[in-house]
Amino acid sequence: MLTFQLFMYILAVMVGLSLGEQTFIKGGIDQDLRTDGRKRLTYRPIFVETGIIPQASGSARVKLGATDVIASVKAELGKPNPSYPDKGKVSIHVDCSPTAEPSFEGRGGEELSTELSSALERCLLGGKSGAGAGIDLSSLCIVRGKVCWDLYIDGLVVSSDGNVLDALADAIKAALSNTAIPKVQVSANAPSDEHPEVDVSDEEFLQFDTSGVPVIVGRHYIVDATTEEESQMSSAVSVSINRQGRICGLTKRGGAGLNPTVILDMVSAAKHVSEQLMNKLDSEIAAAEACDEMES
Amino acid sequence: MGLKCLAQHYLKSTGPSFILTKKNKPLRRRTASLSKMEFVNPEGLRLDGRRPMEMRQLRAEIGVVSKADGSAVFEMGNTKVIAAVYGPREVQNRSQQSNDEALVRCEYSMANFSTGDRMRKPKGDRRSTEISMVIRQTMEACILTHLMPRSQIDIFVQVLQADGGTRSACINAATLALADAGIPMTDIVTSCSAGFLNGTPLLDLNYVEDSAGGPDVTVGILPKLDKVTLLQMDSKLQMETFETVMQLATEGCKAVASYIREVLLENTKQLESRRGV
Repeated sequence: MLTFQLFMYILAVMVGLSLGEQTFIKGGIDQDLRTDGRKRLTYRPIFVETGIIPQASGSARVKLGATDVIASVKAELGKPNPSYPDKGKVSIHVDCSPTAEPSFEGRGGEELSTELSSALERCLLGGKSGAGAGIDLSSLCIVRGKVCWDLYIDGLVVSSDGNVLDALADAIKAALSNTAIPKVQVSANAPSDEHPEVDVSDEEFLQFDTSGVPVIVGRHYIVDATTEEESQMSSAVSVSINRQGRICGLTKRGGAGLNPTVILDMVSAAKHVSEQLMNKLDSEIAAAEACDEMES
Repeated sequence: MGLKCLAQHYLKSTGPSFILTKKNKPLRRRTASLSKMEFVNPEGLRLDGRRPMEMRQLRAEIGVVSKADGSAVFEMGNTKVIAAVYGPREVQNRSQQSNDEALVRCEYSMANFSTGDRMRKPKGDRRSTEISMVIRQTMEACILTHLMPRSQIDIFVQVLQADGGTRSACINAATLALADAGIPMTDIVTSCSAGFLNGTPLLDLNYVEDSAGGPDVTVGILPKLDKVTLLQMDSKLQMETFETVMQLATEGCKAVASYIREVLLENTKQLESRRGV
């Protein structure tokens, strides 16, 4: 119990919250009315913009309250891993810009970057073989064992006000639906020689997932926490759920122990929230793409 | 005024932040045929359709990072950077604290997706360290540091798209962000670059022109005080041509300055109307 309190204290000092503010946040959560007027399971408004990086195959910017992230997808031709000759490769890399938080300066953001990248990889890429991945890796294969697409997904945190992981997952989803991978034709006599054609294939990623992060504060859990609320949390569970309502990945952050039944509760809450979020995000992406087409 | 006399004048007016270094190029892809390319066609138009003395389209926006004390996006054509300013605040590292002036720090970073080829994670490489230093020295020259002793000002610039002239864009963005943060300055600093290709002085080089291997003069000025705070050139150039190219870059800086002033004025008007003054 003592260690737990100490943990809370250190975090509160980092964000600079007084005892009164801490009590206010916790009291608000108890009464299902948070400091910004949301309920426990309400998301902040999402704003999506696609195609913002012209030199990438696909890109998107997502604003979730004051949290602002950019994701870009670049596709390059590569060689598949010998152990999985019929699968393409996807790598996810997240960068935390010091513009978001002065403490990310130099190598300061590296720890968080690694944590976010691996959490996203776990959610989107599934196991080593690519089984159960949010992205269908076999669709990236061009010639078995010879040529495949390497997808480089880069995330950049420009401004952070809590729940960066969700914002990144949403941005990556939006960037992937914005991604256009050129069609490739392979000539029969020279198997390693390929001619990327200019015409663009359909969206390859029909099934995709998103994550809802229920954060537990005290006895209740909340969704989409701001920085102040995150400073008060004892642990967080990030769940990524696909359109069929199946869980694709799960990460628990924070050191405090959780009752297993609470975790199950949180997962079902995440599932519930994700259904609304998925629809909202889809309409936002569609709106952003429509806006894009109008401009071009 | 002769060039020697000019140089002395600048040295006097700007002190230690007068730098002449060879720049490292931002991107690796450089084709041999570039040196023989036609950068200005017979009609007098450049590769992107600009005239030699024409600048790319400027766009600026203030207050893009809500958590920072001051922030701005600055775009010069396809080059796009974000700057965020935190401070003046308590000095984080006590040993760096100064009792008579504020500590100014700067970090420049490039996003992985900012260049044509995907960059592979070179954080804190020599190029970004050098640009961080250049930006810090340039901004230090205009901030009234003596008014904020025992405090620290952090300037973070993040390149989202790199298409030549990133350091100019970074300085312009940093100026806007500092102004947004309400940090006292003697004047705004603005920067612009100019080059010399196919016997023509060209204003505001883009990436293709920048990688042609010709001279690239980056100038930073304090427009109201009429002083040069930043001057960098790489490659070689005739004395007389240097003067005209530098003059062109300075004109570019003045054009940027008038745009920045416009943006700041517009922003202040908006703040005013929001407060109901």
